Amino acid sequence: MNPDIHKLLRLKRYEQPTQDYFERFLDEFQERQRAELLRQPTWSLLWERMTDTLGNFHVPRLAYAGVAAAAVVLSAIILVTQDGRSPAGPSLALNDPRPTINVLPPGNGDVRLPVSSRSEFPPHYVLEARPVSYESPYSF
Amino acid sequence: MSETVEEQEINDVDLVARTQAGDPRAFDDLVRKYSPRLYGLVYNMTSNHEDTNDLLQDIFAKAYRSIKGFRGKSSFYTWLHTIATNMTINFLKKRSRTYKMSLDDVDNGIHNDPEFIEMTSAPDATREVNLKELQQRLNEAMMKLSNEHRAVVTMFDIQGMPHAEIGKILGISEGTVRSRLFYAHRQLQNYLQEFLAA
Repeated sequence: MNPDIHKLLRLKRYEQPTQDYFERFLDEFQERQRAELLRQPTWSLLWERMTDTLGNFHVPRLAYAGVAAAAVVLSAIILVTQDGRSPAGPSLALNDPRPTINVLPPGNGDVRLPVSSRSEFPPHYVLEARPVSYESPYSF
Repeated sequence: MSETVEEQEINDVDLVARTQAGDPRAFDDLVRKYSPRLYGLVYNMTSNHEDTNDLLQDIFAKAYRSIKGFRGKSSFYTWLHTIATNMTINFLKKRSRTYKMSLDDVDNGIHNDPEFIEMTSAPDATREVNLKELQQRLNEAMMKLSNEHRAVVTMFDIQGMPHAEIGKILGISEGTVRSRLFYAHRQLQNYLQEFLAA
């Protein structure tokens, strides 16, 4: 290369602002950083904190994906298991012996009367102390 | 007394570690240390002080956000210069308006430079032109280069970086750096032919 061009290029290193500019530059940088921090949404700050904390344990990046995948699989297993169990729930309730009330008739021992389940009687509503339905639940 | 390269790197390692541990003052020291040098790099690629200021803010902001991921595989100096070069080239690709050259801020130190004294005092035709014209012609020639070629010229000829360092920053081989320089110098020589022959 022509030595004059080389010298001209070397002179371009003087195209610099004064030292004051660089002090102001740092102040401006700090201000921008603070402003950016205030603009950040809360979820972003929380995420940053969480990743920072995990980062302190030197967890490799792929581990995050592994944990997320494991969580998804575990949730799926729990859901499938619950779905499979749901038909068995009511049948267990039907097989349960109904609760009994002890009545003490004179002279005899204990007689156990079954307590009827609600489904054996028609609904009987009462509004302001008057029955809404006049159909007697105990019609013999 | 100026620091050696090793001392500088040790100092950087310490400042980076403190920044990563959450000490923002350590990063302030890194900004103070590298902003003049990065300014030179960005300014000579954009030829505009306002753009350089904005870009430099963005470069340090990005470096601050990414510093936790810096594992020290390269020096901090190389890492920071890589961010700066990539961001500046991306910016230049998007910039559509024409560049402005503002030479009012040229440091007075140039008047004491032996090369400047030599070039402006001798009774040669080339040396009779004033500083402003010299800078203007060269800036125009520089802006005619492609972004990639201007980057290597800035780092090698203006900032005095070795080929190997430029290669690391740009992610290219030393051979590619040399060939880009050769091509860029030839281009500059062609652009300045008239001026040099005067």
